[in-house]
Amino acid sequence: MAAALPLGPVTASRARRRHRLRVLAFMSPWLVGFSLFFAYPLAATVYFSFFRYNLFQLQPIGLTNYRFLFKDPYAWTAIKNTLWLVVVMVPLRVLFGLGLAQLLTKIKRGGTILRSVFYLPFLIPPVAATVAFVFVVNPGTGPINGIAGKIGIHLPDWFNDPTWTKPGLTLLALWGIGDVMIILLASLLDVPKSLYEAAAIDGANAWQQFRRITLPTISPVLMFSAVTGVIQTLQYFTQAMVAANASQGNADQAGTTTAPGYPDGASLTFPQTLYNEGFQQFNMGYACVLALVLFAVAMFFTLILLRQFHAFGDDD
Amino acid sequence: MTGTTVAVRRSPVLSPRRAGGRRQRRRRRLYWIATHAIAIALAIMFLAPLIFMFITAVMSSNETLTGGLWPRSWHWENFGQALTTDNGVMVRWLVNTLIYAVLATVFMLVSSVPVAYALARFRFRGRKPAFVLVITTMMLPPQVTIVPLYIMWARFQLTGTLWPLIIPMLFGDAFSIFLLRQFLVTIPKEYADAARVDGCGEVGTMLRVILPMARPAIAAVALFQFFYAWNDYFGPLIYTKPESWTLAVGLSTFRAAHHVEWNLTMAATLLTVLPVMIVFFLAQRVFIQGVTLTGVKG
Amino acid sequence: MFPRPRRLVTALIVTATATACTAGNQSPAATGPKADAPQTIEVWHGWSAPHEVKAFQDAIAGFHRLHPNITVKLVKGQDDTKILNVVRGGNPPDVVSSFSTDNVGQFCSSGALQNLTPFLQKDKVDLNMFPKAVQDYTQYKGDRCTLPLLADDYALYSNKALMKGDQPPKTISELTALAKKLTVRNPDGTIKVAGFLPSVTYYEHVPEHIAPSFGVTWLNSQGRANFATDPGFTKYLQWEKSLLDWYGYANVKKFVHSMGQEFEASNPFEKGKVAMAIDGEWRTKFLQQEAPNVQYDTTPIPVNDDRQSAFGGGFITGTIIGIPRGAKHPQASWEFVKYLTTNTDALVTFANGLGNVPSTIPALSSPKLTLPPQFHTFLDVFKNPNSTTIPSTINGGDFIVKFLSFVQDQWEPGKVPNLQEGLQTLDKNVNDALRLAGG
Repeated sequence: MAAALPLGPVTASRARRRHRLRVLAFMSPWLVGFSLFFAYPLAATVYFSFFRYNLFQLQPIGLTNYRFLFKDPYAWTAIKNTLWLVVVMVPLRVLFGLGLAQLLTKIKRGGTILRSVFYLPFLIPPVAATVAFVFVVNPGTGPINGIAGKIGIHLPDWFNDPTWTKPGLTLLALWGIGDVMIILLASLLDVPKSLYEAAAIDGANAWQQFRRITLPTISPVLMFSAVTGVIQTLQYFTQAMVAANASQGNADQAGTTTAPGYPDGASLTFPQTLYNEGFQQFNMGYACVLALVLFAVAMFFTLILLRQFHAFGDDD
Repeated sequence: MTGTTVAVRRSPVLSPRRAGGRRQRRRRRLYWIATHAIAIALAIMFLAPLIFMFITAVMSSNETLTGGLWPRSWHWENFGQALTTDNGVMVRWLVNTLIYAVLATVFMLVSSVPVAYALARFRFRGRKPAFVLVITTMMLPPQVTIVPLYIMWARFQLTGTLWPLIIPMLFGDAFSIFLLRQFLVTIPKEYADAARVDGCGEVGTMLRVILPMARPAIAAVALFQFFYAWNDYFGPLIYTKPESWTLAVGLSTFRAAHHVEWNLTMAATLLTVLPVMIVFFLAQRVFIQGVTLTGVKG
Repeated sequence: MFPRPRRLVTALIVTATATACTAGNQSPAATGPKADAPQTIEVWHGWSAPHEVKAFQDAIAGFHRLHPNITVKLVKGQDDTKILNVVRGGNPPDVVSSFSTDNVGQFCSSGALQNLTPFLQKDKVDLNMFPKAVQDYTQYKGDRCTLPLLADDYALYSNKALMKGDQPPKTISELTALAKKLTVRNPDGTIKVAGFLPSVTYYEHVPEHIAPSFGVTWLNSQGRANFATDPGFTKYLQWEKSLLDWYGYANVKKFVHSMGQEFEASNPFEKGKVAMAIDGEWRTKFLQQEAPNVQYDTTPIPVNDDRQSAFGGGFITGTIIGIPRGAKHPQASWEFVKYLTTNTDALVTFANGLGNVPSTIPALSSPKLTLPPQFHTFLDVFKNPNSTTIPSTINGGDFIVKFLSFVQDQWEPGKVPNLQEGLQTLDKNVNDALRLAGG
């Protein structure tokens, strides 16, 4: 021991260096990936937002792209639509997911099968689910409206009527409730049973039990579902785009371009305008401005989420 | 739920009159019927689109437009036709999808496991900020950085291929890192320490001791990655050209290419869904554990 | 660990300038392998039906005889988005062709397709072999980056049986009267047989085909939108809406939703559910194949009553063909483009196969054109000086897309309280987008 003492600092610093190298080696894939596929493109997005760029010619145009944002009717339609989805679709999804999860806790026999049935639509590839859904609820040919008609309910022309397009998409999102439901179900099952027993002895009814015990216990998870729901909705793209394409019959010929967001811009979401400007019109610079707006809003909600992670009691 | 059962069972004892007990029993039965009726009705509604998809897929082309609920004759050949139409273009989409999904999954595992391991087990300066950045990149929409990334891949002349979607997986995937790290921190330190005492290096400890214990989490991220690639629409839409289309992009053009032949479209849709369903039923537990891990164990 | 900001910016600028430098300053006429070297060129086009693909192969048989060293690989079913994407990606095919002239402005001004002038001068090709309107829609501000490959124009088809002896209309008021007279309704007021459907949602009844009858000018002399300032648009829209209201918007919508596919035998004109319809010349070919029993006439599109002297013209457009920037075999590509767009035999063979209008003046008068008698209307419209086309802009057909969506989503459902204000907003939106793209 004594003999080793003079060597102590040397070994310690060597060990530190080895440790640092080891950390570096283990972390290196992510460090490269983060720099190359996130930090660099994010900085480049800022850079390109001051240019007119169609992939052929790069031309500095100052703040023109930013000014256009305030004049762009597509962008405002898209912001309104995305806001609609955030305000209506996200809460409905959380509530419906909670309802289903509650229901599943009450079912004893066959609960596992039901859980799979409710979870299954979430797994269907979004493109496939949307194509199928659009067909099934199509008033002209789809079977659902046929059945509804027989019992005297007149259903709307979901994806061809601007008023009903977003409700139609919401319905589709409720069908794919699986992710929210499973998370909430797990948290419901985590609520200590002794709490319910004690409450029952005190004569609390079902609603009181839910209000006083269930809700406070699962509220962090509800919050998590809502915030991630908002962030997912900010990038809502596939279903809106595929529903518009599948229901728009006349755009079949090559060479025909139509305004985005059929019908009447009702399905135009924010990422879609970004796609349309960047990859259809090739206004790459303006698309970068849209990307920065999306970044700012998404970052805001991410920060809320990060704070929540902290509240969960992260490590140490 | 056991909690409620116990409570209800105990209440007759507490209630002074037998009549009250009978009423309670009746209420319990009504409650049972109501919840089960709602659950079954909802289950039917959840399955209905899938059933109609299937029924439409085996109808004749004309019948699909009549809104009929049952095929007059069963056309099983529609599935074959969907696969072979247009010189078997669907098979090519399937092959492309498999290339994308398999390579992305393998690459993701190779690159993300060490990162997650480091974040979970090493103590170093900047660990917490790094983890925060992982969560941030995981949460932010992919559209935020898509324009410069596209420009970059175009300069490498790799647009039109699936490589822009596969190559980044060699450099860690935020979601997988996050999920693996969440699992790895739950493994007690003592296992690793014991291994180290036995003379294992850090890599050896990771491969031989920790990873076998993390098998469920690794299976979950692998499945998620595979499904993500299988379902991805935005990425292939941006980068691929018809030769490199995946099923998701191909399917979105299928109806336009086949006009009113909804039966073929539905057959193609079902063929896209089928592998996912099979994998789900085989690996249901892995899945549900994985999803739970993302949400609850923050 | 993260790249320092300054280094990052430097890297970016290098990237950016490198990109900018490669744009359009090659001299294409002298690069790549010589035309007589053995090579394979890849040609992208939009046709997809089997008879169309075969027509293309027949048309280039002569090219193979002329240039046995050049193998041509045809890739069918491509559209503008795919073309632009692949050119931007930097690994383009040797020749591309597009059904739409909308993006010529973008193709030329961005340098996505090469300027063909050096090639044309080298081989002394006389552009006057193409009609005037055709010369216009294949160039942008003097930059000729495409050549015409067959053309399309539009006329009024009328079903003889449904016309019951009435002559096809020549003016808008005659068309309106006849449309009402020939319409047959179901007991509930819905449409059984339509005389003439004014809605832009009816296949080819889009504004660019009908509005020219009201003498509209799409862009003013500064290249800006003209919708609010040109009274022709107001006249067109008011006529369109009044006839639409006579049918009832809901009835028209229902009819349009239930009608069959444009390019299949279920097309309502071929089915006898529509008495008169504006359509392209290719419909003669489809009628021949899908509905040989339908007796029909073709006449030029009726004109508004105040411009009867302009009767005989129509809307002209066509397929275009060009050589992308970065094509590997520009010499051979040029030989291919030159052959296909200027060789009379090739054009006539192709036109016969597709039922399209050949795009050069010599081919137009070729005795080898074997097309039905109704086709002559289209040849005449094509040669008529009153025929018009859509101007090229830097952002493609954006102004026409915006106008179409204005008519379809706002005007037809009656959501526009004040037409003049609506059109002014439209003009502003179009001009803003033009300015953003640098036009």
